[in-house]
Amino acid sequence: MDSQSFMHFVEYELQAIAITWMVVMYTIKAVQLSRLPMPWEKEKPKGSGAKGILRSYGSIFMPWSVESSRKHMGRWIGFSLYHVGCLVAIVNTFTYTFTPGMMTPTVKIVFSALIAPAIFIGFIKFYNRLSRPELRHISTPDDYFSLLSLQLFFFTGIMALLLDTVFWRSSYYIITAAFLFYVPFSKISHYIYFFFARFLTGKRYGWRGIIPQK
Amino acid sequence: MDTREKVIQELDKRYNRLVGTSATNLCTHCGWCIESCHIFKATGNPEHSPVAKAEKVRRVLKRKHDWLSRLFPKWTGAKDLTESDLDEWIEAAFKNCTLCERCVINCPMGVETPQILATARGVLTAMGKSPEILNQLTDAAIAREENMEMMEGFFRKQIANLEKQVQERMNDSNARIPVSEEADILYVPLSGAHTMVPAALIFNAAKANWTMSLFEASNYGVFVADIPKAKKVVERVLKEAKKVKAKTLVVTECGHAYGVLKWEAPKWFGKQFDFEVKSLLEVMNDYIQEGKIVLDPSKNSEPVTYHDPCNIGRKGGIFEEPRNVIQASSKEYKEMTPSKVENFCCGGGSGMVACSEWTEDRLLYGTVKVEQIKKTNAKKVVTACDNCLHQIKELGEKNNLNISVSNVSEHLANALVFS
Ligand code: SF4
Ligand code: SF4
Repeated sequence: MDSQSFMHFVEYELQAIAITWMVVMYTIKAVQLSRLPMPWEKEKPKGSGAKGILRSYGSIFMPWSVESSRKHMGRWIGFSLYHVGCLVAIVNTFTYTFTPGMMTPTVKIVFSALIAPAIFIGFIKFYNRLSRPELRHISTPDDYFSLLSLQLFFFTGIMALLLDTVFWRSSYYIITAAFLFYVPFSKISHYIYFFFARFLTGKRYGWRGIIPQK
Repeated sequence: MDTREKVIQELDKRYNRLVGTSATNLCTHCGWCIESCHIFKATGNPEHSPVAKAEKVRRVLKRKHDWLSRLFPKWTGAKDLTESDLDEWIEAAFKNCTLCERCVINCPMGVETPQILATARGVLTAMGKSPEILNQLTDAAIAREENMEMMEGFFRKQIANLEKQVQERMNDSNARIPVSEEADILYVPLSGAHTMVPAALIFNAAKANWTMSLFEASNYGVFVADIPKAKKVVERVLKEAKKVKAKTLVVTECGHAYGVLKWEAPKWFGKQFDFEVKSLLEVMNDYIQEGKIVLDPSKNSEPVTYHDPCNIGRKGGIFEEPRNVIQASSKEYKEMTPSKVENFCCGGGSGMVACSEWTEDRLLYGTVKVEQIKKTNAKKVVTACDNCLHQIKELGEKNNLNISVSNVSEHLANALVFS
């Protein structure tokens, strides 16, 4: 296989297989969860379930409304930048492949600048996990591995954007694919469960008039 | 069937969508919840963080339900259950968690740690490992109905004595404490007179059409997550409400009883009840808003603060009503920080107060509450739950806080002006 057809394979076929795999796994998980019994509220509402759900999803963007964000604003900013970095690194796998015309040097620099802080924050996360006894106590090999594999994903993403060589581009896509295969099994899949959890908690709290607070 | 199989079977029975969502990869082990827990704050022990407590149960659930944990348990921290895990569950679920849900509102993912730990409580009860006193109190409540013929005469005599007190305080010989008679309101007290006399003064002052229940509101079945027994405790009151043709069931100031009767029991029975369920806090607030009672706030002249019981506030949705009542009946009100949905648990919730073997731990877990109270400079703490009342009284004595403690209805009754 020459380098061009290899690049084509990692950018298209491999990604398609990996994404299909991930979607199938998530679908199975979602179906499994949906089939579990759910004790919905039966008493008439004191508040609004819909408002509770909206607030529950929205509170992640409203750091002033939650003590754990409000009191640690630096941590919340780090959390936000980290997730922006993740999002951009994921979006980049598509834009690079499907809209190459959009990837001007300026866009590449902007994307890199958005991903770079995530690497820095990743190191802080790693350091905290090792140094804080209460975090070390709950950390598993999957926690460390997930963190490191994301670092690699970000790093190869930036290198592919800035250097645009076959090596870095193919590394980026191979790591992306490996990542997509692994994600449904690891704690990185939290972002899928997040939507379930926030819906259920928000609905109950909203229904009972607990959130949103007046 | 060996212990492990039985535990797994009991876990399966309780594995619903709420538990299932929180039991697998939702938790990122980020640690944001750690400082939200009054128990971790009091001890600083990594074992006492919400995530560490949940993890003790989650790792067993993961072993069964999480794909990666089935293949490589060590990789994800999952493990097969052992006999010693159950002892750890007792510590985590009964002793070191009051199911206050403060960690839930502080978790960016929405992990329901208390749901996981309440599941563990249910399993431990099924395995005969929950605190004996909580089971005894549940059984005693059920026995009360079974032996009602024997108990009723004695109960009515006690109430007649309390009725005299009410008449004296109101200077009105027509003031009454009707017991289990036909009425619009069925008021369900606790066994102590402090939940009966103030309520009777308020209902009489408001000229309400009410009656007192033969049963007490408390339901220890919910603390041991023994839902069949907890349902039996509720059924007694449901039958009585039907008998007296109540339109409204008013629950006294008891956090878990309100949570059970208002929110949980309709789920257990799969339907909304034929009557409305209200807290006494809401009824007192209604009477003030409707001008049905007259108050003299100068009768409560000391600076007063309010402690939101977790089951009434963060889990029950009642925040403003007690504040309105206290402010209308006091000269000076001081808000606690934090309060309402962010208030800290007093440390005595979810059965802790009844478990005498954990008294020292319980009082230690109240450290954050002590600091909160000190900062208000209030001389009186008013709350709306008997467990909180008991705990805050003990915290006050142990820490020389020099405060008085009462429930909201006692505070309001003290300010009542009888015409
Ligand atoms: S429970 Fe929530 S806040 Fe606590 S470690 Fe898990 S994800 Fe983080
Ligand atoms: S429910 Fe309350 S006591 Fe239990 S872990 Fe969460 S914050 Fe701590």
